Amino acid sequence: MAGNENGTVLQFAPFQSSVDEGFWHGLSSLKLNKLKTDESPISITGFYAPCSNPQVSSHLTLLTESLPTEPSDGHPAETSRGNRNKCSVPGILYNTNTLEGFHSLDKQGLLKAEAKKIWEDIRSGKAEEDSSVLTRFLLISFADLKKFNFYYWFAFPALVLDPPATLVDLRPASQWFTLEEAESVSACCNEWRMSSLTADVPFFLVSISSNSHATIRSLKDFKACQQDGHKILFAFYDPCHLPNNPGWPLRNFLAFISARWNIKKVQFLCYRENHGFADLGLSLVGEALVQPSQAWQDQQHVPNAVGWELNKGKRVPRCINLSTSMDPTRMAVSAADLNLKLMRWRALPSLDLSMLSSTKCLLLGAGTLGCQVARMLMAWGVRKITLVDSGKVAMSNPLRQSLYTLEDCLNGGDFKALAAAKSLRRIFPAVEAEGVVMAIPMPGHPVPSQEEHKVLDDCRHLHDLVESHDAIFLLTDTRESRWLPTLLCANANKLTITAALGFDSFLVMRHGAGPLTATDESKAEPVSSLSAGVDEMSLTQSDSKTRLGCYFCNDVVAPVDSTANRTLDQQCTVTRPGLAPIASALAVELLVGILHHPHGISAKAEFGNSLDGGSSEQPLGILPHQIRGALSQFSQMILVGHSSNSCTACCPTVVSEYRKRGLDFVLQAINHPTYLEDLTGLTELMKSANSFELDWDNETDYDDDCVEI
Amino acid sequence: MNQTVSIVILKVVMVSDQETCDGSLSLSDFRIAANAFTEKWNKFNSAFPEWYWIDCSNRLGFAAHGVVDGYLSLQNVFIRRSLEEEHDEGSSNDDDELFDDATLVQSTSDDGDQYHFHVVYSPSYKVPVLYFHAHSTDGQPLNLDEIEKNLPTKSAKVLLESKWTFITQEEHPYLNRPWYMLHPCGTNEWMKLLLLAGDNSMATNGTEQYFISWFSVVGQVFGLKLPFEMLKSIG
Repeated sequence: MAGNENGTVLQFAPFQSSVDEGFWHGLSSLKLNKLKTDESPISITGFYAPCSNPQVSSHLTLLTESLPTEPSDGHPAETSRGNRNKCSVPGILYNTNTLEGFHSLDKQGLLKAEAKKIWEDIRSGKAEEDSSVLTRFLLISFADLKKFNFYYWFAFPALVLDPPATLVDLRPASQWFTLEEAESVSACCNEWRMSSLTADVPFFLVSISSNSHATIRSLKDFKACQQDGHKILFAFYDPCHLPNNPGWPLRNFLAFISARWNIKKVQFLCYRENHGFADLGLSLVGEALVQPSQAWQDQQHVPNAVGWELNKGKRVPRCINLSTSMDPTRMAVSAADLNLKLMRWRALPSLDLSMLSSTKCLLLGAGTLGCQVARMLMAWGVRKITLVDSGKVAMSNPLRQSLYTLEDCLNGGDFKALAAAKSLRRIFPAVEAEGVVMAIPMPGHPVPSQEEHKVLDDCRHLHDLVESHDAIFLLTDTRESRWLPTLLCANANKLTITAALGFDSFLVMRHGAGPLTATDESKAEPVSSLSAGVDEMSLTQSDSKTRLGCYFCNDVVAPVDSTANRTLDQQCTVTRPGLAPIASALAVELLVGILHHPHGISAKAEFGNSLDGGSSEQPLGILPHQIRGALSQFSQMILVGHSSNSCTACCPTVVSEYRKRGLDFVLQAINHPTYLEDLTGLTELMKSANSFELDWDNETDYDDDCVEI
Repeated sequence: MNQTVSIVILKVVMVSDQETCDGSLSLSDFRIAANAFTEKWNKFNSAFPEWYWIDCSNRLGFAAHGVVDGYLSLQNVFIRRSLEEEHDEGSSNDDDELFDDATLVQSTSDDGDQYHFHVVYSPSYKVPVLYFHAHSTDGQPLNLDEIEKNLPTKSAKVLLESKWTFITQEEHPYLNRPWYMLHPCGTNEWMKLLLLAGDNSMATNGTEQYFISWFSVVGQVFGLKLPFEMLKSIG
């Protein structure tokens, strides 16, 4: 069907849709709160304005206010009144409950139904009263409120003229009008656009008298205008910016003009603006020939319609995902990330956030220390946290152990490790928190043979946990429970932080590097053969520096059962409540410091006013080895402790014995604490210390100068 | 020793309290400045859509008397996408819709994104804050990486890496949805510098000067340039 001798087929630029996010938010809440599973159609309002940019067409937009505010019992929602920038256009929304439902909607049927409404409004004359009905539209959608995917498809029903309208002439308005006419037309258009009564009326008549004076009349006044004998232009707000094509609203306008007034030669004005004023260079005036179809004589006949919006050239629906603004978990993650990035931008450019978020932390103990450490880690952006604890939440716990509430104490109490992990997830859903309910095997607490199997399993499990994490926090409440973890960490050369509490004092320290692994220290300084030789004389291993100590390095006795044979007041471990948060916070800050230190686990001990620590001006500050605090003095001391070759937990002898004999060795150590003392030579050391006697009593040499009192 | 008594006459310059002293702006001055800015922009800057003041005084259900509550809105700034080769010549599918001669078939070269900018007053920082949001033509919101990739000018990149500008995401105070914004915590510092460097004698237009200066910095990140006539028209 090519053009005929009357001109080429008039081609219209399709309407384009633009849906503001607020519309989807509004629809979601409407669905959740009011509609639920009701699939009946919803009256909505679209908005558009004349084109105001020579590069870009105006869109038909949907905003939050497009949705009815009080959808109630049978009354169609009031079309919200527009303004000069938002001409209201009535529309209908079919929102389905399932994706299948969406895809199986009878699209042609729905389009026909809307087209029928337009046709009826034309025939009845309603379109003369309220011309916005000529641009009525249809929207189908499906809102997946679990994944926040929104499927949607617009249709802008256009009555098909058969045969199609042809274009005789089309040119910029400024070229069509005379200068005087142009001036007059601009003036009255601007006036029309300024008045709040008419600014949002998208179809009107421009009547030009013989003395070039233009007036704007509403469609209702057409007959009167005809009688005046003036030149009449059928004008409409044209969203399209193209110089050679009018916009979509003209389609139904032509159908209306033809059907209503039986006009065959239509002169039209595509009204477009620039900056709020009529732009006659951008606006177009054209002449079209419309042949009414025979079929229109039939009262029942409804013309065919087209108008489904294309999606990137294809006749498929659109789908967008709004989880970044609707999914609370994603929003929480994004807020947390941005918060840390803000810190990096403002204060700490060398902060390595991706390292923090990928560091896997193992927390042994989910009590006062464990809960606080876990929270602090999350605050720093750590996302992988495993908590180990064999106990259950007791009624007194929630006060001091910040992850628990009363609910966790009921019915005998939930397992702490599991309750803690759950609590972490409740605070920040994106955390990968896991709870392991397990007791840590301890020396001095001999294992009855029927439980040996279980204990060995636990040892193995603990070994695996240590291997699979990057940083381990020892946060248990007894000394002996820290032994096996210390050994395992030393064996695996893992970052280990110990926090321990007294009544009003605390210790926070980082363990030194493991004794048997090749460290990076040898790369840090050139080792001359002489110094290497000297070092080798003092240590039996290949370290070129002394390692920092662990929690047990300063002890001369092996860990024993500290819980038995204590006086009653020793057995109930009480601490001042302020201690645990302080110690936990320091423990986490210490970890962050190590992670950012170029030498990591092998970093030297640094002091506040040391000349030695000055070389490493780390942005986070100094990296101490040990912090001992006394709450009674509100004071803190920074200390260092070097590793001991007789340490029951981390000395090379013990670690290599573990490597050689594995769990057998552990079991032996657990069942016979003196075994460790023997192995490490502590027994020998003690014997030699005891044998060294001071002969106080044999001295009868009194100084003559002393006077007996 | 000569005792010279010199009387120093201090010329007290009546400067509208805050804008020039510490780089901040009061709420009422913000409203005045926003008005003036809008007027000038809409007059001189035909390349862009218009700014509108969105009044929110009634959002709590009552109009708090005399309290300014609202923000400046610039919608639908179209920023072209950096060219992506999308040769998606898929055939249109099964639909039994009529093939319609009267529909213009357009190439999908109209590839660009829509940006919305809001200027919101921050009562805690006492400065204006630029909020923005972008989406592609089908309504899919752009994330920060995508926005940064498509920022129109090289200088925008520099600004992004500078000490003064940091893009973060926060809940829009009026729309209650996450929008991106240029974090305001550095604003009064660089405003102080900017205003000191400029000509301060125009006390009467201090507020307007503040706003225009502020916008000339933040707008640059997105290529929202202030035309020369507009800058000239102050004072």
